[in-house]
Amino acid sequence: MKPLHYLTLILMILALIIALVPQNTTRPYKLTALQMLTEIRAGTQFVSPDEVADKIVKKDPSIQMIDVRNPREFDMFSLPGAINIPLQDILSETNFDLLNQGTKMNIFYSNGSTEANEAWLLTRQLGYQNNYVLQGGLNYWMETILNPMPPGNVISNDEIARYDFRKAASMAMGGGNISAIAPSAAAPAGTPKPGVVPVQKKKKASGGC
Amino acid sequence: MEKMNQPKKSRYLNPYIGGVLLGLVLLAANFISGRGLGASGAIKSVVVATTQTVAPKYAARTKYFQEYHEEHSGPPLKNWLVFQMLGVIVGGFASGAFAGRLKFKVEHSPEITSRRRLVFALLGGIFFGVGSQLGRGCTSGSALSGIAVISFGGIITMMAIFGGAYALAWFFRKNWI
Amino acid sequence: MGPLAVNDIISPNTNFFLAFVIGIGFGFVLEQSGFSSSRKLAGLFYGYDMVVLKVFFTGGVTAMLGLLFFSLFGWVDLNLVYVNPTFLTSAIVGGLIMGAGFIMGGFCPGTSFCGAAIGKLDAMIFILGLFIGVYFFAFGYPMFETLYKSAPMSSPKISTMLNLSDGVFAFILVVVALGMFYLAEWVEKKFPREEY
Repeated sequence: MKPLHYLTLILMILALIIALVPQNTTRPYKLTALQMLTEIRAGTQFVSPDEVADKIVKKDPSIQMIDVRNPREFDMFSLPGAINIPLQDILSETNFDLLNQGTKMNIFYSNGSTEANEAWLLTRQLGYQNNYVLQGGLNYWMETILNPMPPGNVISNDEIARYDFRKAASMAMGGGNISAIAPSAAAPAGTPKPGVVPVQKKKKASGGC
Repeated sequence: MEKMNQPKKSRYLNPYIGGVLLGLVLLAANFISGRGLGASGAIKSVVVATTQTVAPKYAARTKYFQEYHEEHSGPPLKNWLVFQMLGVIVGGFASGAFAGRLKFKVEHSPEITSRRRLVFALLGGIFFGVGSQLGRGCTSGSALSGIAVISFGGIITMMAIFGGAYALAWFFRKNWI
Repeated sequence: MGPLAVNDIISPNTNFFLAFVIGIGFGFVLEQSGFSSSRKLAGLFYGYDMVVLKVFFTGGVTAMLGLLFFSLFGWVDLNLVYVNPTFLTSAIVGGLIMGAGFIMGGFCPGTSFCGAAIGKLDAMIFILGLFIGVYFFAFGYPMFETLYKSAPMSSPKISTMLNLSDGVFAFILVVVALGMFYLAEWVEKKFPREEY
């Protein structure tokens, strides 16, 4: 009986401790400070409004716009297909599967770049992938896509193409409904493409049978 | 005094100590590989591997094998469980060697014959083979590992296994007692 | 930070090698505890040898507490550890069939390998039966498929289902397990047999 008595004692003590001490629910940072600095300086998380507009107009299913402003601002105006994850909820368990996945490109946006970039910083440090930031945010979006400036006197073909594209995209989005008006030109060449195509998420350990 | 703790010296390890050691092995598996122990999965791997070598066209168009490949990448034998089971054989052998238990024999109750024991062993294996596929694991994979990670499915399978065995125990009592 | 293999702290090949080592530990402990003997294993169902209960639940509870403490110390991320998925009907039916297999064969797959390793012929025949059973399932899969995939429930943990924290559930399970151990000691005294 002796081993059973020892076992009882030890197990009961351990079980009591584990029942009373609150669970450790923090998610650890996966990237070192140096890795983060490298990524920040490379700036590969930014996507240009042209790129995004092109994908939205083509109804590309591989992107997901994420509005990180508060719900009130989201309700007043949001980009087509966007969902609202306010910055303060970015760590919430409910949003984990949306933010840490390997099938779509999540594109954070806010009024400027600041909040969206903050969302990216946090999620990147936690090791999540496939999250990007809309360069310039909604302010820049308004300037370039919704109200594109006509090019000046001395213009290049590139600029003409870009202007045409933006006019068409603006028509496609200005009215609030995405009609079938396709831009006459594709997104102009030379817009920087965001880095990586969505990477396969690391599989959880498999087991059982 | 007739109340002694252990009536005689056991040639096996004290079960509670054995249990703690087993728990540590299971803990190591979870810590190192993120999964628990298992056994029936290794049988499945061998079945898949042999079928593919012997009848590859059949395997390619049969649902069971296609689904296996959807879940597992790489050759079926290069599988965590297969390596683990190879270790089990070595470990079991080592333990038997140390304890002087290595011997070819059919272990059976003196009330029945060897042949009867072997027939039931075969039947038992067949049932367990089918059941472990449905249950997605056996006592090691589903039940034991399930307790460690508090899996609902694991515990349900465990209760069904023990429940089923208890329910039929009376009918097979002649084989054991 | 564990699990080591999932976080790429060790390579897949190291993982397989360690699987082998873990298996050695598994087999060794099982055999040392007597799980290579079908008569000892079957004793659980007749009261004369409760070793299965004692080793099994002690092992499960130890590992469970171990994982929870590791998580507490930040040594393992429990979200990355595999939790068996639940397919309710399939699990129950499969379990019952396995129960029948257990009481007839006196082994389960893991212990049968232990038994075979020390020369038990009945264990080897059991393993043969296992292969037959799995082949039967594989080739007869269309028969079983609907049952196999019925009632999926992803991978729920009991603690979540009962709305308890893992720690509280662990405590309850420890109490229950200890209770079963004392009961087992009493049962063994009631049905004494010589040891196998």
